Amino acid sequence: MSVVLRNAQRSVPVRRAPLRRAVCALRAALGASRFDVGLVCAGNALMQRLNGAYRQRPEPTDVLSFPFHQVAAGELPRPRCRGEYNLGDIFLGVEYIHQQCRDAGEDFEGVLVVTAAHGLCHLLGYRHDTKPAWEQMYQKEAQILEELNRLTGSRLRPLTAGLF
Amino acid sequence: MLLARSLRAVSALRPPLPAPLRRLWAAPPRALPPAPSAAPGPARSLWQLGGGAGRTALLRPRRGSAGRVSCGCGGLHTEGDKAFAQFLTDEIKEEKKIQKHKSLPKVSGGWELEVHGTEARLVRKIAGEKITVTFNINNSIPPSAEDDTQEGQKPDEQEPELTSTPNFVVEVIKDDTKQTLVLDCHYPEDEIGHEGEEESDIFTIREVSFQPTGESDWKDTNYTLNTDSLDWALYDHLMDFLADRGVDNTFADELIELSTALEHQEYIKFLEDLKSFVKCQ
Repeated sequence: MSVVLRNAQRSVPVRRAPLRRAVCALRAALGASRFDVGLVCAGNALMQRLNGAYRQRPEPTDVLSFPFHQVAAGELPRPRCRGEYNLGDIFLGVEYIHQQCRDAGEDFEGVLVVTAAHGLCHLLGYRHDTKPAWEQMYQKEAQILEELNRLTGSRLRPLTAGLF
Repeated sequence: MLLARSLRAVSALRPPLPAPLRRLWAAPPRALPPAPSAAPGPARSLWQLGGGAGRTALLRPRRGSAGRVSCGCGGLHTEGDKAFAQFLTDEIKEEKKIQKHKSLPKVSGGWELEVHGTEARLVRKIAGEKITVTFNINNSIPPSAEDDTQEGQKPDEQEPELTSTPNFVVEVIKDDTKQTLVLDCHYPEDEIGHEGEEESDIFTIREVSFQPTGESDWKDTNYTLNTDSLDWALYDHLMDFLADRGVDNTFADELIELSTALEHQEYIKFLEDLKSFVKCQ
């Protein structure tokens, strides 16, 4: 099924083809290739608006995930019809991420992929609001990024390392 | 929303203008040519007999033709024309007052601009390639933007600005090939300028085709790729291809600015031409 990619901002150049390849590989590593995913590259204004509307934090952020299904961490959705083969939407705050990478001297495209992996895990019920939940999510992120690293030769690590 | 455009929309609600008054001339100013087999008809005779003084006599307005403009320019003039010309004077004044760009804004990235009436062309050369982006500002303002007057909206409430979002054609010519890669690009409909709907691509590629370089006629027999059902990965490669050549979201946004400015400029020029045409010379 599809990864629907949209670049809705002009602040940061985004290479669509490699990002799509990475997200498709991560989705496959999660065992969710038959599910659609929406991916929107957003600027600070859009992220701030969404963050304010849905999390009551009106400020830019790096990623927001909107799952289609409510599932427990580690479970795949059980669609009842064709239209439910949908994991949900991920909004990547590319402008925010780009600024963070500039400040930290990190590779923007690599961090973008790691952030997308984080967002995908959220779509499948993983959370990091408690230490046990974070550990579970961290392990899954590490696993799927390792699979991607094996395919692409990259050396990507999970986003939330050191959160707890 | 441009005041003058609002006035244009509201004008449909105004009571109809008075019917044009009777023609200024008793006889038609130009006589019909006689039938070939007939003797020279009176119309030609009138011209011959009239000469300079006669012609002037024919064209001299009758006395008592109240409400008509007296002139000798040879055009029909009515009170409606006079009111129309005055209306246009006001419209032009208002449009110029709110004109955002007195000169056309530049597009960043080293693009050279050529304008021929309503058609604009941006050209860029980069490493053995020539990239041309062509668009026409005619019919480039989405209908929802132009006609979107809210019910109960107060006249003094600020209305959204008119934005020109033309389709644009990108041509990529490589120095060593005889084929031009042509990509037809569109802006999403009903999504520009609407808050809450800025979650889509700023522009999309609709069709892709190869055309012979240097030939102005479109070759129908060349395959045209429609992106409606295109593989997403291929589509992303095409978008990255364009971005590498300077046709990215920044470019698309700046093209809107340029197109909007050009459209407004042409609109004002049209109003001025119309005023000149309508008013007494």
